[in-house]
Amino acid sequence: MLEGTIIYAIINSVVLALTAIGFNLTFGISGIANFGYGAFYVLAAYCTWMMTNLLKLSYPLSITISILFCTLLGALLYRLVLIRVRGQVLSEVIATFGIGLVILELFRYLGFVGFEYTLPVFIDKSFIIAGTYVDMQRILLVGTGTVLMVSLWLFTHHTSLGLAFRGIAQDERTALTFGIDADKIATLAVAFGAGLAAIAATLIIPLGSISPDEGYDVLIKALAVSIIGGLGSNGGVILASFVIGFAERFTDAYIGSHWTMIVNMASIFLVLLVKPSGLFGKQKELEERI
Amino acid sequence: MRSRIAYSGLIGSLLSVFLLVASTGWTAESILIGVPTSLGFVEGREGMRSAQLAVEEINSKGGVSVGPTKMLLKLKSLDIRDASPGVPVPEALLGLEKIILEKKPVALLVGPFRSEALMASMDIISKYKIPMLGTIAMSPASEEKIKKEPRKYKYIFRVCLNADFLVKYLAGTMALINKEFGFNRVFIMHQDVAWARATIDSIKKEYFEKAGWDIVEQLSYPTGSTDFSSALIKARVKKAQVILPIFDMPQSGILVKQWNSMKVTSLLAGFISPLAGPKAWNTFDQNISGAINCNYEMGSAISSEKMPLSVAFEKAYRKRWGKSLEAGHGPAPSYESVYILAEAIERAGTLDADVLVEELEKTDRVGVMGRIKFDEGHQAIYDMDPKSSAVGAVFQWNSDGTRSIVFPPALADRKIKLPEGLTPVN
Repeated sequence: MLEGTIIYAIINSVVLALTAIGFNLTFGISGIANFGYGAFYVLAAYCTWMMTNLLKLSYPLSITISILFCTLLGALLYRLVLIRVRGQVLSEVIATFGIGLVILELFRYLGFVGFEYTLPVFIDKSFIIAGTYVDMQRILLVGTGTVLMVSLWLFTHHTSLGLAFRGIAQDERTALTFGIDADKIATLAVAFGAGLAAIAATLIIPLGSISPDEGYDVLIKALAVSIIGGLGSNGGVILASFVIGFAERFTDAYIGSHWTMIVNMASIFLVLLVKPSGLFGKQKELEERI
Repeated sequence: MRSRIAYSGLIGSLLSVFLLVASTGWTAESILIGVPTSLGFVEGREGMRSAQLAVEEINSKGGVSVGPTKMLLKLKSLDIRDASPGVPVPEALLGLEKIILEKKPVALLVGPFRSEALMASMDIISKYKIPMLGTIAMSPASEEKIKKEPRKYKYIFRVCLNADFLVKYLAGTMALINKEFGFNRVFIMHQDVAWARATIDSIKKEYFEKAGWDIVEQLSYPTGSTDFSSALIKARVKKAQVILPIFDMPQSGILVKQWNSMKVTSLLAGFISPLAGPKAWNTFDQNISGAINCNYEMGSAISSEKMPLSVAFEKAYRKRWGKSLEAGHGPAPSYESVYILAEAIERAGTLDADVLVEELEKTDRVGVMGRIKFDEGHQAIYDMDPKSSAVGAVFQWNSDGTRSIVFPPALADRKIKLPEGLTPVN
């Protein structure tokens, strides 16, 4: 029982990290809280579903197109909308949330609601790990999630574009003096965030089903994880995912599923009480110091 | 000259249309029926479409006679979203009141999805005196209210089965499993909503405790839960032979996927809404062979050659909407409720709510679900024989993606088969 709970807690943690990493990347670099993040997640899933079921394209090709499409849409979101309200936090939130709302509710309006809207698993097999059956999709999810997070770290620390990302994140004005185009980087940050939401969707949705409500859930989860971890901190997101992931599964297994939401909220409250900037957050700390 | 010919032609056409309309008894007035329900959920959406199908069928035959006048039926729906997680009951009630006040319907069909919303809406419905034939919310608590204050709540009827009747089918299935395979260890998982709680409380009291079953664990889940791994690990550790799930939320499909991927060696037998329709086979990657599901009403995503009207309804629905029925609860009673209402209006000869209610109480109709009669709590009576009552159907998924009815005995195609990896203990 304990081993099984730990295994599924790890899986749950990686799911949470995957869910939040795109949102956090966008915010960390461009300072834009993309409240349409959940809509990109759901959009990618529906696009994949439509391409495999209506256009009869192969599953891998559908996934690739969906991820690229969402990435492109993210870039367009910045170039066409966000660039005009850049720096006005409330306007950014309203604009992104409004666009997300339109996307999600459009799917609902068009009748994309039902059990048939799901994606197949990549490999339909299960393995026994420490006496607990775990399916291949979850193992793949943990593997891909780990690779993705390591790649993200390598990208932001060892490539010129990644270093430009970090430069803008650390100090936009100084970065500008080095010839880094802030708008170009912000465009890429929103696009990469949307692309990461799409990757998360194609990995996670085969475990459940697609529904417009998923978009709202994903946004709330991404926000919760990012706030606990410290907005903009990738390490914080990973740690926060594990805190919430383990708290959820252990509460479910040993106390009751009703308490998972309460434990979630309590952990957010506790972390913010002790460290208002989140576990690895820096922005709030700087403000407090000033 | 040319314009005179054109005018004559136009007048002639108008006259023809007028004569045609007059001959069919059509008047500008129509009988408006409101459908306030959760249209975002498959039960609500297919319930509304089934009602629309019945409306179109009735209208194609000239409509409904109200005394000497023939009137067409017209359906107006509104999504009250009461089934969605996080939508408070008062918000759903606002929607219900909106359709009553703005559209002024003669009757309401389908109605609230959640029993919590139905219970709260009863006062509104009695205030505006509008007959309602509910086809989704299932808690028997509404009947108790009707029995206690029949004058006040007489406008509310239920055409779908309620939790008590569902217990009859589930208990019958469990007794069959016990008799055939000797299983008596059950793990109960249910959604934390009124009707599901009532169903579980009732089946524990009425069957499991009396039959000496061992309830190894009972877990409830808030609407919207998406991970059932902890429960399934427990089911395996506690050597449960049967998992009895009661869920109507879309996310319960995840339970089926996890049951399959975690290779839980327990028979899944109960109600999970995503398992009800024919598309579930592909939705769940063709891995649901052996799972048993109770479709609440015959005709709701299941039909039997022994009941030809249920087959005809399924075919008519597919022809009209281009899709198969997927909801195991709601469509058949929604379809029937239009006919029940139309027949009551014709018997009453008026649209007066109080007279209509009297006629609705006298309903005795043989339709898609069997014979429909209401009891004193205005609940359609369900039992095991379609000749004397309405019926539901419990079926098992076959390994070729087809479904076979296994209960009630009057409709059963075959006996229950154990899926691979499970062996009888008797």
